[in-house]
Amino acid sequence: MFERILHANDGSEGAMKALGAALDLARRHHAELHMICVEELPSFPATMDEVREERMEAQHRFTQVIARAEALAKGQRVRLHAHVLAGHPVRVITEFAREQRTDLLVTGFMGHSALYNRVIGSTTDRLVDLAPCSVLVVK
Amino acid sequence: MENPWLASALWIGLALVASVLSIWVAMSVALVEIVVGAVAGNLFGLPIAPWVDYLAGFGAILLTFLAGSEIDPQVVCRHFWSAMSIGVMGFLAPYAGVLLYAHYVAGWAWPQAQIAGIALSTTSVAVVYAVMVETGYNQTTLGKIILAACFVNDLGTVLALGIIFAQATVWLAVFAAATALALWFLPRFAPWFFSRVGHRVSEPETKFVALVLFFLGGLASVAGSEAVLPAYLVGMALAPAFLKDPELPHRMRVVAFTILTPFYFLKAGSLVRLDAVIGGAGLIAVFLAVKMATKFVGILPLTRTFRFGRREGMYTTLLMSTGLTFGTISALFGLNKGIIDQAQYTILVTAVIGSAVVPTLIAQRWFQPAEAPPKAAAPAEEAEHV
Repeated sequence: MFERILHANDGSEGAMKALGAALDLARRHHAELHMICVEELPSFPATMDEVREERMEAQHRFTQVIARAEALAKGQRVRLHAHVLAGHPVRVITEFAREQRTDLLVTGFMGHSALYNRVIGSTTDRLVDLAPCSVLVVK
Repeated sequence: MENPWLASALWIGLALVASVLSIWVAMSVALVEIVVGAVAGNLFGLPIAPWVDYLAGFGAILLTFLAGSEIDPQVVCRHFWSAMSIGVMGFLAPYAGVLLYAHYVAGWAWPQAQIAGIALSTTSVAVVYAVMVETGYNQTTLGKIILAACFVNDLGTVLALGIIFAQATVWLAVFAAATALALWFLPRFAPWFFSRVGHRVSEPETKFVALVLFFLGGLASVAGSEAVLPAYLVGMALAPAFLKDPELPHRMRVVAFTILTPFYFLKAGSLVRLDAVIGGAGLIAVFLAVKMATKFVGILPLTRTFRFGRREGMYTTLLMSTGLTFGTISALFGLNKGIIDQAQYTILVTAVIGSAVVPTLIAQRWFQPAEAPPKAAAPAEEAEHV
């Protein structure tokens, strides 16, 4: 049923739980599995270095996330394609899903604080709204 | 608040709140500091002691210096004509347009209209750079030309700020001569000096740079000019040395963003009056519209001349309509010198903040170039692990 699965990972424990589900689905369906990590850049920065430092910080964090994900994928004998892209998470993930013609997006519950989620909405809410494919939210 | 330590605690507390908020909402700490400063200033009034003025002023000088040091001279040389013409028009068109509107339509006096023109002539290199990184255009020729043009645009702004209000006295000649000498001498001497003293906890390199900035800034001030002018020029002169040794500007940024620029941005925000924002909402919108319209008049035809595609041309023009740091620096200069009043300052700063947000959103939503650079082909932007 699923040929191309995309897993969005922000490095949180919730995302790693979702990775487990994505690996399981990819193995069962013999699907191609992609994992995307998004470096969220500050909007309207004052200096270029602010942008560079944010990227370096994210790259450092995601190197560890990717290493951990690859080890899990190897254990399940699944081939994992990891991608690190910069930008707004919702826009980047949905555009990537569209470009890759993904059948299924698997994500953990990616949010902010309870107040932020209530007022502005969580990243997951918007992914469910805007993704061009089915979305599995793992809690 | 008389007690300097309690006053410091208040300012640094607000800076800390702004830092945490900026991480939470993924926005620039500078923008959040302006907003926090505005809220605090309107709610309970932030006391601005002379030492706050000093730290804020030093913050603005260091911020301008660091902005100048981010230029890549090789890129400017390689795309000299396109970067120069787009950058010059990017400054001149909005400067003239806003100046004339402020004077003839809004009824501002010439010096006040000059400040408006300068404050809204800017381009935010950092905002443009962030959008380029997001879209992958920072790796392309188009992206490099746009960034180089932004530096030229901002150079126009600091030159205007430094020259228009200067008095033609002997001190102006002394200041000009000292700056010219420093710009010739520094690229030769500084790399040698930096290599001799090395990276030490006592930071001799940072002290050397501060010495140059204070001295030239002092001469600028005596000449009736503005200290950010030599700061930007010295930053540009030292850019090649900083490109070779990025650790030094990084350490200077840590110093600046920890204890100096928060005072500058919080102060800039605290002087924004809510009643003036409400009362001047129409003028704020018109100034923003004039800035964007004149950027289009100045830049869009040049993008055609240099054979940018239609969407690329629109995208470039919109990105160059952004502005933040130099806009607030120009408006604060006007307020500090008594050229504009607080209501006019409020109108200009709010329009400047609007110019950081509105053109970026329009560019990203409707005018991303049709043929985006292939992300998989840009190794710095994407790493594939199998």
